[in-house]
Amino acid sequence: MVWSIILFLFTFVIGIISPVSGVGGGVLFVPLATLIFPFHIDFIRGAGLVMAVTSALSSIPYLIKKGLANIKIFAVIAPVMVITSVVGGFIGLKVTSAFPGGKYYIELMLGAIILLVFAVMMLSKKLEFPDVKEEDMDSWAKSLDMRGAWYEPNLGKVVHYNIKNTKISEVIFAIIGFIAGMFGLGAGWANVPVLNMLMGAPIKVATATSMAIITANAPAIGIYLTKGAILPSIVIPSVLGITIGARIGAKVAEVIKPVFVRYLVLAVLLLAGALNVLKGLNGLGII
Amino acid sequence: MAEHKQEVRVDDMGLAFGKTMIVFTIIGIVMMVVPAIFYFAGIKQYIPLSEVNRSWAGSASEFWQNTKGIQVHGYGWIFNHLLYTDTLSMLGVLLLMMTPLLSMLAAMFKAPNKTYKMLFLVAALEFIVSIMFKTS
Repeated sequence: MVWSIILFLFTFVIGIISPVSGVGGGVLFVPLATLIFPFHIDFIRGAGLVMAVTSALSSIPYLIKKGLANIKIFAVIAPVMVITSVVGGFIGLKVTSAFPGGKYYIELMLGAIILLVFAVMMLSKKLEFPDVKEEDMDSWAKSLDMRGAWYEPNLGKVVHYNIKNTKISEVIFAIIGFIAGMFGLGAGWANVPVLNMLMGAPIKVATATSMAIITANAPAIGIYLTKGAILPSIVIPSVLGITIGARIGAKVAEVIKPVFVRYLVLAVLLLAGALNVLKGLNGLGII
Repeated sequence: MAEHKQEVRVDDMGLAFGKTMIVFTIIGIVMMVVPAIFYFAGIKQYIPLSEVNRSWAGSASEFWQNTKGIQVHGYGWIFNHLLYTDTLSMLGVLLLMMTPLLSMLAAMFKAPNKTYKMLFLVAALEFIVSIMFKTS
């Protein structure tokens, strides 16, 4: 019971951070819970995935209503991500079970990928309100009317935006879906920079729409359920904590300054990347 | 400020997606949490909490071997023991898993054109097939 209370408080804090940063709760929960709690990683990954999806489910309706989560973008990406995340999940399980140390190579690769995303975001500029003109929109974005608007309280006005590079983004989201499924985590850490830097979605729209895209990983919960790797004593306090926290986090995401959101995303990416690299190296006996 | 806020209009497809999602998310969380309250109170437990605490350091297969002497493959451990509070709460997790699918189907009916209808239909079919594939 004591562990359940600690889990609740732990995930409550993660719930607040998750919608603001656009990084799924599972990505934050799994590496940190592995270090703190006595449960086997099977149960942590199962709980992490349920948390990531539930956190997203709880936040999305509010973010849609505010015009921040763009379902048109989700509709274009979902058919690709659902299938590649499931394929990635199956291949990931094969890799980890086929040879000793496979799990650690996967953790090492995940850490390297996250650190790469961190580096790209550090080097990029002017992401809060990318200027995508009508002529910059590709043919798919134009024909599917991929635009949007939301009221930005920090500017005191409605901000309109357009989306670009839809075709190349489909390919990248296919890879992200595969990687997300392979590692059993949400994919906010990769979704946000692609939505923001490549597709031209403002950072707040990117973080909100990323939450919708994370739900495309929901079928992977079935893998853990069919293995019996989801336990009420771990999942219930975790989901409650992150759900309550996420409702507060969604409101914070609306009023917080975009620059601060970016720094928060960068800090979370660096932490998650470093933890995964260390876990991988430690598992392989290198450190 | 209120005038500015009124200028933002969310399309019907997005609203249908969001409304369906919030309804089933709430139902899913309630279905998950209510039986779990009884479970934490020690009522009708398939696996008692004390046994869970003793075995959760092992892998999922070790856990089930230690607690029930079985290996779990599929959803049978949930559907065959619905009279227990802990397995009953897993129905809520199942509903949460299905919520994005239900939201996509709702959005499909409010989609502004055939392309969006097709995109949601394809994603929904992939979703269903992936769950059925794992079940088998």
